[in-house]
Amino acid sequence: MSSLELMPDPAALRRSVEISNLIKEYPNPYGEDFRVVENFNLNIREGEFISLIGHSGCGKSTVLTMLAGLNEISGGGIIVGNKEIDSPGPDRAVVFQSPCLMPWMNSFQNVMLGVKNVYPHATKAERRQIVEHSLAVVGLADSMKKYPAEMSGGMQQRVGIARAIALQPKVLLLDEPFGRLDSLTRMELQDVIIEILAREKLTAMIVTHDVDEAVFMADRCVMMSNGPKAGVGEILGIDFARPRNREVVYQDPKFFEYREHLLAFLEQRAHLKSSTRVFSDGDTMGYTDKKGLELESHATSKATSVA
Amino acid sequence: MIFAHMKFFSKIKYPILKAIDVSGLTFLSPVVRLCYGEEPRVQMKKISQWILIPICAIILFIFLWAYGSTVVKTKSGSVPGPLETLKAGESISKFGNYEKAKEEAYTLTGPERDEALKKAQARLGKMDPIVKAATDQVGGAKAQYAEVIKKRTSGMTSRRDALKKSYSANQSARKASLAALADTLTPGNETAYENFMKEVKDHTDKTDLEKEELATLAKEIKEIEDEKSDDVAKALFAQTRAAEERQFLQKQIDQLTTQNKGLKIETAQAKIQEDARVLLTLTGPEAVKAAGKIAKARSRLVKTEESVYAGPKTLGYQIKRSILCVFAGFLIGAFIAIPIGILCGLNSTFMAAMTPFIAIFKPVSPIVWLPICLIIASAVVPSPDDSAFMDWLWEDAWILNHYDINPAFIASAITVALCSLWATLANTALGVASIDKDHLNVARVLKLGFWPRLFKIVIPSALPLIFAGLRISLGVGWMVLIAAELLSSSEGIGKFVWDQFNNGASDSFAKLFVVVFVVGIIGLLLDRIMIVFQRLVSFEGSPTAI
Repeated sequence: MSSLELMPDPAALRRSVEISNLIKEYPNPYGEDFRVVENFNLNIREGEFISLIGHSGCGKSTVLTMLAGLNEISGGGIIVGNKEIDSPGPDRAVVFQSPCLMPWMNSFQNVMLGVKNVYPHATKAERRQIVEHSLAVVGLADSMKKYPAEMSGGMQQRVGIARAIALQPKVLLLDEPFGRLDSLTRMELQDVIIEILAREKLTAMIVTHDVDEAVFMADRCVMMSNGPKAGVGEILGIDFARPRNREVVYQDPKFFEYREHLLAFLEQRAHLKSSTRVFSDGDTMGYTDKKGLELESHATSKATSVA
Repeated sequence: MIFAHMKFFSKIKYPILKAIDVSGLTFLSPVVRLCYGEEPRVQMKKISQWILIPICAIILFIFLWAYGSTVVKTKSGSVPGPLETLKAGESISKFGNYEKAKEEAYTLTGPERDEALKKAQARLGKMDPIVKAATDQVGGAKAQYAEVIKKRTSGMTSRRDALKKSYSANQSARKASLAALADTLTPGNETAYENFMKEVKDHTDKTDLEKEELATLAKEIKEIEDEKSDDVAKALFAQTRAAEERQFLQKQIDQLTTQNKGLKIETAQAKIQEDARVLLTLTGPEAVKAAGKIAKARSRLVKTEESVYAGPKTLGYQIKRSILCVFAGFLIGAFIAIPIGILCGLNSTFMAAMTPFIAIFKPVSPIVWLPICLIIASAVVPSPDDSAFMDWLWEDAWILNHYDINPAFIASAITVALCSLWATLANTALGVASIDKDHLNVARVLKLGFWPRLFKIVIPSALPLIFAGLRISLGVGWMVLIAAELLSSSEGIGKFVWDQFNNGASDSFAKLFVVVFVVGIIGLLLDRIMIVFQRLVSFEGSPTAI
């Protein structure tokens, strides 16, 4: 290790995320507390894009909402930019699965809602500029006066993204943001996000069910083991150049390797649920369709990490 | 069809439909769509369902009412049918117009007064023959009807007389035979006595039967005689109308002459001037006396100048005062209910603290609240003489100065508030508590403070339910108010009802029926207004009323 690595760039340190021994428990009136997430450890570098993938109900969203501060942390800790978090805040902007816009406000007002709070000293014109810029970035320069009811789901989610980035957060958290959109809109919005991240150099985390999305968007794919007591199962580094081009990435043989790897992991976990067998590394089950991802998790024993 | 090809009309089609939708008058939208030639068959079906069927139902109701009203007889005459009710309504409005004219007459001065006087006198000159003709008409109609009755009953009367005669003859014959039988009795002969008893009983039974028969016949005759003739009723109605108009004209002339404000002031001023001139010539005790008289006359003059026409209250005034009162109570209720409802929705501890009060006070009837409010209001509300604010309310306040804001009014308004605020409170608490959790999460991420969160997220999202509650409250308040006014004798529709109930005029009963429709229609309008507000604050997917 060189001395340079021992003393990292302070800017990078300020913005990075450190999740250590994270635990989430829910009270169980008939026995021990129900532990959903146990010993989840992850460090995110500044500007890194993490995708979190796993079976339904494994606790992906729980981890993300804890990072957002919306969900109480039962044990362990999360440090964002050198500070341990204990509540939600605009430094960690969230794009929710449903756009969560206020139906009584138009796009402009929806974005302005947070801006007023985050820039208390900015003038009216400056705030206005920030809102207009954010909406322009997501391609809604023409729809500022539209109300949510007048917009499609995709447009509404764009407003949701604009609202998040207008806060100029340290970390952008995306909680299955495209889950309710059709595949074409989904691709458009993926490109919007990639473009924004490339420009703003934000740290980001996306929770997703979609293997293609996880591979295409992220720098590292974090695969979660099955719950209860879920943790980091395996981490897969994705080595594509940025900014990413969909056609290039989708034709790269590496893309399919990554994809196969993720699916194999998930497939393995799906079998674990029924048989509790532990597969050794490389014992892949081949390609499965995405239906495998929707299986409910009722594993009785903690799935051990394969990696 | 008509409008489809014209550019202007095709442009306003959707705004019209939107306005109809917002105002809740959805039955009109098929008519508009039909005018634009949109699916005529579908629209016709909707029109027949939502316009024609209700009209038929109304017509059917009127017929049933007209029939039903003839069946039930009460101490206050037969139940008024639709026609009587309509006439009573007309007479109420006529009374209102007369009072308005008298009020105007009181303040008229100069040539306007002269002209009005001339007009009234000319009309009054014509009234005497009209009244006389109407009276003659009534006499004629009565005589004619008496003829008719006599003709109808003559057969029955003669039969009754004949029967009476024959029955009395029978009775005396039976009595004679009984007397004869009594003479033949030998003491100790039980069978003979038994036989005699039987005969006597037979005689009394027969007599009773005959009496009964005669009574029935007499009743039938009486019923026919008591039947009211439509012609007589009509003549009487016309006579009353004419008499009323004549009386009104006389009163109006009084207001234009002897009672007239301008004239009174003029005479008083002239008298004061005259007295003042005399005063200049006087000295000593006489001067003191004269000066005192002038001072008194001057203060009387000031009072006359400030005076307004003091006539009986019209239903129009009472309706306006009731509406004012219901809104006063409604606003008091809303100012209490909305903040408490919001606090209840936000904070479960506060909700727990409020629950016993809500549970206990909610079912309390207005009849209980009103006397309490009346006692408190009479004690607390100062009279206009003692309080500058009340004086301002009575003399100078915009609009309010016409409506005598007295303790009875305030007590009625507070009773309305106390009875109507619960719906708003419950709906507000529900609206605030059931706010979308995602929206609250957004607020948390954006780190909105308490006030921005309240005003930007909590209240807007609860508004549709708050307005649903307000709508229910206004409806409840309107119902409560009439009862409160009736009990507190606060000038208003309730007072009108009480006056009619206590007054034995022939059309009082029908006037109560008019009030039913007046109260119903005003309640409907208030509800419509609230629906419009509710739709204006609603958004897509907003919670609906309960």
